[in-house]
Amino acid sequence: MMINNTQSEQYQKLTQELRRGVLVLAALSQLQEEKYGYALISRLAEKGLDIEQGTIYPLLRRLEEQGLLVSEWNVEGSRPRRYYQLSEQGDEVLQDLAEDWRQLTQVMEFLLKDGGN
Amino acid sequence: MNLIDRYIHEVGRYIPRRKRGDLLEELRSSLGDTLEDRYGEEPSESQIEDLLKEMGRPREVAASYYPQSQYLVGPALYPLFRMVAWIVVAAVLGAQVLAWGIGLFLAGETYAVLDMISSLVNSVPNALGWVLLTFMVLQYFDAKPYLEEESWDPGKLPAIEPDQEVNRGETIVGLVFGILFLVMVSFFPQWIGFITAPGGKFYPNPVILDNSLLIQIALMVGVGFNLILLWRNRWELTTRLLRIILNIYNVFVLGLLVNDHTRWLAARGSGGLLDGLAAIEGLAEGGWELVGLHAFRWAFLVALIVTSIEILVSIYRLVRNQLKKDFSVRDAVVKIE
Repeated sequence: MMINNTQSEQYQKLTQELRRGVLVLAALSQLQEEKYGYALISRLAEKGLDIEQGTIYPLLRRLEEQGLLVSEWNVEGSRPRRYYQLSEQGDEVLQDLAEDWRQLTQVMEFLLKDGGN
Repeated sequence: MNLIDRYIHEVGRYIPRRKRGDLLEELRSSLGDTLEDRYGEEPSESQIEDLLKEMGRPREVAASYYPQSQYLVGPALYPLFRMVAWIVVAAVLGAQVLAWGIGLFLAGETYAVLDMISSLVNSVPNALGWVLLTFMVLQYFDAKPYLEEESWDPGKLPAIEPDQEVNRGETIVGLVFGILFLVMVSFFPQWIGFITAPGGKFYPNPVILDNSLLIQIALMVGVGFNLILLWRNRWELTTRLLRIILNIYNVFVLGLLVNDHTRWLAARGSGGLLDGLAAIEGLAEGGWELVGLHAFRWAFLVALIVTSIEILVSIYRLVRNQLKKDFSVRDAVVKIE
């Protein structure tokens, strides 16, 4: 029982790390059109990538500080919302990262099939 | 939405003031969106609680905005570490400047700019190193500034009471001056006194020299208390009581100092409160010590009065807060009935 628990905790940590790595790319890919945080979470969840709120907002802030996103408050809806969108630099980074990602998935596919033989 | 307000207020306590507004506004907006999406326009209190449980403790939410990998000092301790580091830098710089000032003033020593810079380059990283080391040990033993129960219950979020907010600026200033005075009294008590003119004759205060241990204790306890206050970051029953006890001790020490000054002055025929004025007239004949000791006695007397008033105010606040608590419990009981 103890072992199972430890294993599942271990698995959770590893899968979290794996997801964390792709999170930036996932968020950037969906911000070619402006979205507010919750809309981005819903969109990603809809497409099969569940992200906690506590992860996405700090991430958006960080990407904005790095100049990859721009944001502005919109007060027209039922409540004020901060909308994020790719900056020019963010757009370029997205293209490069997407290319890296495609290459990486090919390599990973190969490695997983190959199994070291 | 009261619970949301309390939650957001609590998150804000862990975020630097200048970043707080925008960040909390976004948190409020996202909580609103999530609630509306899940439960419609009017979510119940328990639905809000569920969401807040899912979001996590306020401290953790705030810490997520300051990502740190492979912690030497983790998110739980980091805000306190940052603050203590600033305080220590300020105190070290202050002590250094004070030492130069006193040297220049009393002994007429002059320092080369390069020497001053090199001593700062040595002392500041040295002090910061010790702070870091202390916090690394705290981190290693997983010390947490707040005692937390096992599960996080949004229902137990404290109410928003401006009265219980600790004025951090004031506390930090108190801490820096406390450390400075402590350094003075502990290491250079002979330098506490008065001087006739820059570069002129210096008179140490004999009463302070006689009572330095009592003063040291008061200052040390004061520094400790300010650290506890910053650590807890909220006025609570224990901190309010501690402050009252500490201030009673301070009044005792100040009373003793005033009394000893009076005895010293009376022995020289100048014991009355207004005899200082006569002493000033005697300055031409070199009555510096009398004037100096009169000035010190007035300063301690004012401090004694201010501290006594502070005790009364603290007691008043303590009683008022306890009464308020009793009322709110009674109101809740009436509502349930």
